[in-house]
Amino acid sequence: MPAGRSDRLLLLILVGLLLAPGIARAQAVTGDAGAQAILARFYANPVPGGDPLTEFKLVQPLVMLRAGLPAWRLSFIGTLDLEGWTMPNGELAPGDWGEGFVDRRHPHTYVHELLLVGDVVRASESRVSVTAGKGFAPFGTDDPMSRPFVRYPVNHHLAQILERWVGIAAVRFGPVTVEGGLFDGDEPEFPGQWPLFEGRFGDSWSARLTVRPVNGLELQGSHASVASPEHRPGAGLTQEKWDVSGRFSHLVGGHPTYALVEWAHSAEADGFFEFSSILGEATWSAGRHRLAYRFERTSRQEEERLVDPFRSERPHLDNQIFGTTRWTVHTIGYAFSLPIPRLSLDLSPLAELSAGRVDKLEGLFDPQAFYGKTTFWSFTVGARFTWGMPMHRMGRYGAALPEPMPHTHGEVM
Amino acid sequence: MIVRVATRTPAAFRVVCVAVGVMIAMGACGGDGGTGPASAKITAHSGQNQNGPASAPLPTALSVLVTDAGGNPVANQVVNWSTSTGSLDPASGPTDASGVATTAWRLGSTTGAQEAKATLGTGASASATFSATAGAAPPTPQLVGTVVVPPNYGAHDTYVRDGIAFLCAWNTGLIILDVGGGGHGGSPSNPVELGRVITNDDGVAGGAQVHNAWWFHNPVTAENRYVFVGQEGPGTVGVSAQGDIHVVDVSDLTAPHEVAFFHLGLIGGSSTGTHNFWMDEAAQTLYAAYYNGGVIALDVSGTLSGDLSSRLIANLQPGGPGNTYVWGVQLYNGDLYASDMLSGLWQLRLDRTAGRFTIVSGGNNVPDRFGSDLWLANGYGYTGTWGSIPRGPNAGNQIKVWQLSAPGAPQAANVVSIAGAGNVGDNEVSADGKYLLAVTERGRDEAKGLYLYRLTDRANPTLAAFANVPGVSNQGGGLHTGTFAVIGGRRYVFAARNPGPSGASPPALVIFDVTDVTP
Repeated sequence: MPAGRSDRLLLLILVGLLLAPGIARAQAVTGDAGAQAILARFYANPVPGGDPLTEFKLVQPLVMLRAGLPAWRLSFIGTLDLEGWTMPNGELAPGDWGEGFVDRRHPHTYVHELLLVGDVVRASESRVSVTAGKGFAPFGTDDPMSRPFVRYPVNHHLAQILERWVGIAAVRFGPVTVEGGLFDGDEPEFPGQWPLFEGRFGDSWSARLTVRPVNGLELQGSHASVASPEHRPGAGLTQEKWDVSGRFSHLVGGHPTYALVEWAHSAEADGFFEFSSILGEATWSAGRHRLAYRFERTSRQEEERLVDPFRSERPHLDNQIFGTTRWTVHTIGYAFSLPIPRLSLDLSPLAELSAGRVDKLEGLFDPQAFYGKTTFWSFTVGARFTWGMPMHRMGRYGAALPEPMPHTHGEVM
Repeated sequence: MIVRVATRTPAAFRVVCVAVGVMIAMGACGGDGGTGPASAKITAHSGQNQNGPASAPLPTALSVLVTDAGGNPVANQVVNWSTSTGSLDPASGPTDASGVATTAWRLGSTTGAQEAKATLGTGASASATFSATAGAAPPTPQLVGTVVVPPNYGAHDTYVRDGIAFLCAWNTGLIILDVGGGGHGGSPSNPVELGRVITNDDGVAGGAQVHNAWWFHNPVTAENRYVFVGQEGPGTVGVSAQGDIHVVDVSDLTAPHEVAFFHLGLIGGSSTGTHNFWMDEAAQTLYAAYYNGGVIALDVSGTLSGDLSSRLIANLQPGGPGNTYVWGVQLYNGDLYASDMLSGLWQLRLDRTAGRFTIVSGGNNVPDRFGSDLWLANGYGYTGTWGSIPRGPNAGNQIKVWQLSAPGAPQAANVVSIAGAGNVGDNEVSADGKYLLAVTERGRDEAKGLYLYRLTDRANPTLAAFANVPGVSNQGGGLHTGTFAVIGGRRYVFAARNPGPSGASPPALVIFDVTDVTP
């Protein structure tokens, strides 16, 4: 879709989001809206070239809308992401990569989610739903934006598949949920770009099995076959992806506690290239205070860089990479929640400190030469602003969500 | 609306706001800005008082020497480069162990005197000033033909002979074009497709990946029956590669079909894949660069059919395991020269009787950059450099000039800088030996394109013409490969244009008439 058309559509969606609550009331339809943003200062040392760098940015500015038409068993999920405006050059994050960014987390597309969810069956023990629109494929774990940390994990592009045209069927019976989805393989190249439907939709698929054996515990395993994610016209290699995780979210001793352990693996070129990740993260809250810790070890392909060393060449010209590195990152975080109920507003000052190292696994790319050292650290200090409804679990829709749908802010964010 | 946390007091709110403000304002540490002796001196070392065309790179890099009060070289001292005209690549960088820091200068667009300055990163007032004189901008070759190919990934190379062009268009396959010799009315300004074939993938992920070709004119059989096609499969540069040599029967140019293939297996536990070719046609021998597999010689006499593995004459990793990733080969004065991305330029010799290559000379002679393509002519060699990721601090922004000794050993003779280039991916000397072409990609948009150098002094190529093929915001664009061809008495360059980002311009074969700029 040409940029001009996408801008107009974006404007229409924005207007729709603003008017939706009123329309919902007028039509006796359920509705909920919310917004969030994180204003923070980001420091990383080193960045490509060996120097430290500090930036001040507004990240994760989201406007969210959920609307339901219970009589028709229909619901709508819309999430606008304005990062294309607030952080067009990405967010400083050593090790992060994807969509042409390296050592910066890329901005997401303006229309992050735009989905209709229909319940075919909805009973006490079972639910069957179908979902269509633009959003997450049923694969892997929740989007990092709906998890406690500001800093994205390095494994984002191993563990989530997002911003695609998706068609998903989900069946839940008791503690077991099975999802299957078709989608387009092409990932976005810039925030105003829409996924390709013609010629790409259905070239990729994924399936996810989720089991919730006890209250608060969720185990999932998923597989995806993604055609040419990094070459939009479709000439690129196919990725075979696997993800297994365990997620816990519950009160422990009266304290909201969250934990996630994850293994993710992507293989390209029939296994010629393989990239893996292990990740564990947890938060523990006491009153207004929340402590967080994450450990991650993820391998990353190294691609050719542009004049801007934070960017990699798009489109690719061949199927070669220039090396593989492994990123080991420890992150600790602290946040303090400060609500303003009469405004439905919450302000959470936060700080995160990451430290880690990068190791060369193979190839020409030499971290020591490129960064000047093989250890790094980053520091984020700022505040998260949220208004209205809490962040939903991005990446799960309809029957794939636990019942009732959790409002994760209290336990996770 | 859902409100999720209990109410707090206004006092607490104020405290938190102040704390957040303080934390944000605190920021973080600054850079160290380089460390060095306060009394360090900086002096111009090379590149002073050059003349060159406006808007073009000066051939000699600028360099400065940084010394301490005792006159001793100071290593790892950051030097910042600046100019009010043109651009400098890199804009800053550390001194090496000899106390020398270098940059390449692309002059600004105005003619006359121009200046560039080097200063120490410590903030010391010491500086060195360079002067240059810009003449008229170089002429631009005329673009006369364009053949757009589908974005699969695009066009990679072209082989032109007898007015027939073989366009290597990745998974679109090998496209055969009449550009003046096919009898179908084609010309460089109006290429006419004769046929195309998608070679077999041979089980290599990514498909046919048609990268390069050589049309074999067999003087023994007087046949022009076979085209050898290189398949460039997935690989990790410097470590592994994939892709076979495919043999296409072009007895009928309108109905090409694959008849044979060659596969080189694992070496040292890593898969190998082919890259550029050269032929000793009289000896019916195909030489192929094989990336981490080194170089091979293949007997291609007689009829070719099926698996050609038994025809392997010799194979060598010139740099040894872990130090071999051969980009290109060329037979010159009876020896095979190989340009290795890791280990530089080698002189090799094939012993057919023993079935092996021997190393004659060269090797490990380009430590500052990754190597790329090569061309040898008139006692000199020219090799490109590759820098999609830098080697140390250095991009692929140079042409290395080699003088060949009497026995053919390559001796470093000169360096031609192309400021702003990321890769110099292809070189070729014209058949009359008068001009050198180089194509560039990656790097800065203004540096991407076709460079034509005069070889009046073979050791000192001087820029004769430049065609800029930019991308968008320093992404995409540029030329991947280029080759000379003389058709109908005029000189042309056939070049593979890279696509721009987000479909800004499609990949294509672009054809320049360079007759008037290379008289």
